[in-house]
Amino acid sequence: MKRGGLIALGLAAGGTGAAALIAAAESQEPSAAPAAAPARPALAGPAAPALAIPSPRELADGPELTRWAHVRRPVLARAQPSRSARVVARVARLTPERSVTALPVTARRGATSDSLWMRVTLPTLPNGTSGWVPRRALGAFEISRHRLVVDLDRQRLTLLHRGRAVLRAPVGVGQRRWPTPRGTFIIRNRLERYESPQYGPVAFGTSARSPTLTDWPAGGFIGIHGTDQPELLPGRVSHGCVRLRNPDILRLARLMPVGTPVEFR
Amino acid sequence: MSDALPIDLVDVDVDDALAEAHHGLTRAGFIVAGGAAIAGLGALAPTTGAAVPASDREVLNYALVLEYLQAAFYTESERSKALKGKTAEAAKVVGAVERAHVKAFRELLGKKAVGRPHFDFQGVTEKEGSFLKTAVAFEDLAVAAYKGQARRIRSKSVLTSALGIHTVEARHAAWMRYLNGDQPAVSAFDLPQSRKEIDKIVASTKFISRRPRSTSRSKPRYTG
Repeated sequence: MKRGGLIALGLAAGGTGAAALIAAAESQEPSAAPAAAPARPALAGPAAPALAIPSPRELADGPELTRWAHVRRPVLARAQPSRSARVVARVARLTPERSVTALPVTARRGATSDSLWMRVTLPTLPNGTSGWVPRRALGAFEISRHRLVVDLDRQRLTLLHRGRAVLRAPVGVGQRRWPTPRGTFIIRNRLERYESPQYGPVAFGTSARSPTLTDWPAGGFIGIHGTDQPELLPGRVSHGCVRLRNPDILRLARLMPVGTPVEFR
Repeated sequence: MSDALPIDLVDVDVDDALAEAHHGLTRAGFIVAGGAAIAGLGALAPTTGAAVPASDREVLNYALVLEYLQAAFYTESERSKALKGKTAEAAKVVGAVERAHVKAFRELLGKKAVGRPHFDFQGVTEKEGSFLKTAVAFEDLAVAAYKGQARRIRSKSVLTSALGIHTVEARHAAWMRYLNGDQPAVSAFDLPQSRKEIDKIVASTKFISRRPRSTSRSKPRYTG
């Protein structure tokens, strides 16, 4: 007989034997047991688990999800993912406001730790310039499910979360001689508790830069902030920044994290 | 893992998640977690509103930090889209399970749950070789950590849950070992590891990092 057959036979025999033992045990009347024998306690059942583990779910990443990363160290951004490629820009670790620079990550190239490069959108003129930096120059990948859209013609701001509008507000945008630049940028910092009423209680810094006010202090970056002249909104009233009424910028501050992509269109 | 550098936990645990879990401290007032967490368990459900013993909460928060670490690791791996084939599939499946663990812990602990630390995996999620090595280390670590806490757990309900997760982590460990070309089942007996040993190993990776500064009190100098 083959080994498999022996095993099958053994199992069958074992099963029969076990069934016989159980039947024998069940057939015994309680009175047949010695009177002095203590009753055996039944084995306890399993304890109820304290944790309710939900069913595993796949990532629900939609098209509204974007990736970005902080800069770990100053780095040269290059036109191609190669150390010999032309330098597009120098990327500082800190912004003029002393926050750590945040960059949108749009592509990846390479397979080894030494050759892994990321394409990032740079906070430099002309707006929309991208470049490649070594992966090691960036920190952890962060994600954003928010998106801020500023309609420059209608002077309306809309904050979206997972593609759904969660805040709408009228805004002031750049005058025609100092236009707010069009394009997609990133919210890279948040300033608060400063003493400057014309910027309102909260100001967000973006990676967009004024194409006209290039000699503005700290590089002419475009901000999104409150105002001490709410009566001017909506309108083309600013030097390029997006101004909100103070209650609106406070609502925005409660909802919008740093790293949110912002589209001026 | 045994050759990991023993680096002081305080150096890297800047969000205090590990330390917080270690000392059983909390960020907010306690809300009895029973109701929502055990919904749907039917006949097996423990008494609704039953509070978890404080010492068990400490263990649960410690486990939650490890689950955060694993969930973030696999999730970032999947989002990087750098892994291929069976490794990518494993990352996807295991990541979903680790996220489910996180969700369950957070629901049970409610406002007593420690916050999610900031993780920086320094690119290991984006290369198959380093991903698998790290995954094996994480899963072995989790298995040893759960085993190491068994004797500290007072509630049978919590112990049952911990055992349930422990065996799942062991399956993950075997899966990742297989993909990495290692023996899935190495020994006849797995040793537990103490909290201190686990903390040192986690700290030595430097995967728990300081959250970069993104706010400031600087006066704005935007164009206005």
